[in-house]
Amino acid sequence: MHKKIVLAASLGIVFAYCAVALLAPVIAPYDPHAITGAPLSPPDRDHLLGTNDLAQDIFSGLIWGTRATLLLGFVGAAIAVTVGTAAGIVSGYYGGLIDEAVMRLLDVAMTIPIFPLLLILTTFFRPGIYLIAVLMGLLGSFQGVRLIRSQVLSLAVADFVVGTRALGAGDGYIMARHILPGVLPLAGVKFVTSAQHFMLIGIGLGFLGITDPSVVDWGQMINRASQNGAMILGLWWWLIPPGLAVTLISLALAWLGYACEDEINPRLRVMRV
Amino acid sequence: MTGDALLEIRGLKVGFPTPEGLVRASDTVDLEIYPRETLGLIGETGSGKTVLGMAILRLLQPNTIIEGEIRYRGRDLLSLPEAEMQRVRGREIGIVLQNSGTSLNPVYTVGTQIAEAVILHQGLSGPDARQRAVELLDAVGIPDPVRMAGEYPHRFSGGMRERALIATALACRPNLLIADEPTKGLDAVTKRGIVDLFSEIDRDHSVLFITHDIETAGDLATRVAVMYAGEIVEIGGAEEVLGDPAHPYTRGLLASLPERGMQPIPGSAPSLITLPSGCRFSPRCGCAVENCSREHPGLVEVGSGHYARCMLYD
Repeated sequence: MHKKIVLAASLGIVFAYCAVALLAPVIAPYDPHAITGAPLSPPDRDHLLGTNDLAQDIFSGLIWGTRATLLLGFVGAAIAVTVGTAAGIVSGYYGGLIDEAVMRLLDVAMTIPIFPLLLILTTFFRPGIYLIAVLMGLLGSFQGVRLIRSQVLSLAVADFVVGTRALGAGDGYIMARHILPGVLPLAGVKFVTSAQHFMLIGIGLGFLGITDPSVVDWGQMINRASQNGAMILGLWWWLIPPGLAVTLISLALAWLGYACEDEINPRLRVMRV
Repeated sequence: MTGDALLEIRGLKVGFPTPEGLVRASDTVDLEIYPRETLGLIGETGSGKTVLGMAILRLLQPNTIIEGEIRYRGRDLLSLPEAEMQRVRGREIGIVLQNSGTSLNPVYTVGTQIAEAVILHQGLSGPDARQRAVELLDAVGIPDPVRMAGEYPHRFSGGMRERALIATALACRPNLLIADEPTKGLDAVTKRGIVDLFSEIDRDHSVLFITHDIETAGDLATRVAVMYAGEIVEIGGAEEVLGDPAHPYTRGLLASLPERGMQPIPGSAPSLITLPSGCRFSPRCGCAVENCSREHPGLVEVGSGHYARCMLYD
């Protein structure tokens, strides 16, 4: 029962964030870039969360910032999971030299820390937000390859796979029809956990001030707030809301990931109460 | 009688490289299967029966070492390109694999999986293939086939799964059906049903019936081949081989049947890595003479079309 509440709550939060992202123009009272009154004013009726040093409405920034965070998380995760699943299936199914080559490449690739590499790439090339999402997805797909491959190794020698080959099916058919469904639940969990991971990375990049400057995002909001003394001046409405927004979506995705993992792997249930 | 064989196996050697050495699962096997005959292949577990069946359709792991020839209607299956081999599998030669419990994918309905074969080879569309699946289920004796085609494999009992697999293998009307222990793990009544089903099937198809159940082989087979340690030790008409066995191993197998006194053959089958010298059965053989452990006997004709691999007949 307790688990169902957690699952429902986390799903609810994720859906609410998606709705906010989609309806941002409707919900946000102001253009997040517009100057809307006195700078650094505390929350009141016109400005639900006050204004920043440029007199921009913080509540509107918070609403619009949802888009950037969700986009980085979900587009990045979709790419990472697609690439990881495809490579994992091919590697695990064919085995032999192909598998060996993929695995050794991964060994090398996994020694590269994603975040610093992204830092360098974004600093040099100043890419737009979509390109950042793609880069994240590609660099973040390595772990997924291993995860999926390990599952495929056991599926590839399953009797029903041999049986399907005995019916005259080719490799492509077997991988698409008989291997892929077996790894989809795992890929789904990986999608959720990757999305969370990428959202945090996106916030991190924003905080360091090296994301797409034309896009409003929470990382940049936190950066601006802390750079301009929000902490010292006690301007909580500037610093706390984006931080809370990040924390909540991150927690929701983590819970969702755990709940899905429990569902597909009953052996974990006892361990994580 | 060699020209008209549907399948002709010549000098087939199958080896699995392992860290301990080469496992010789099949050693210089010669075998023919003629149109519309049922060849029973019997032997103990580990004698190489399954490997032989899988080797015919090239379903063994890629690192397996296979030598010899497997001619199907004059074409050597072992040298066929993979794309052509895919057209042979399922359409020309069907196989019912061992372990019916795990040979169906749990995520698809049984009807969907039977339809797969039809879609792969005959290019039928979804609904037509589905209809064919229902007909096939009906043909193999599944009650209420329309409903059962929509059920998942876990709802099928052992005997029904076996029937479903047979339906899958027969979906494209192959000329040859290889059945690998289709009666394994079934109770007597269910087994009877499967045997009856096969006696219907073998009117239209050639069947290679692999089993360790001598009685079933006797019921179905027109000819019987006995395998021991990767070799065929006796082959001939079912009545001759089972009624008047020539090889001491076949005699031992028959004597170990419950209704014939249940006398087991002493010792156990040799490791396929370190095979005994000379006759492979000699260490366990009651009739062994000195020469048996030195010379490896060939197949000797002991009757019309009846061969045994034993020194006694040299």
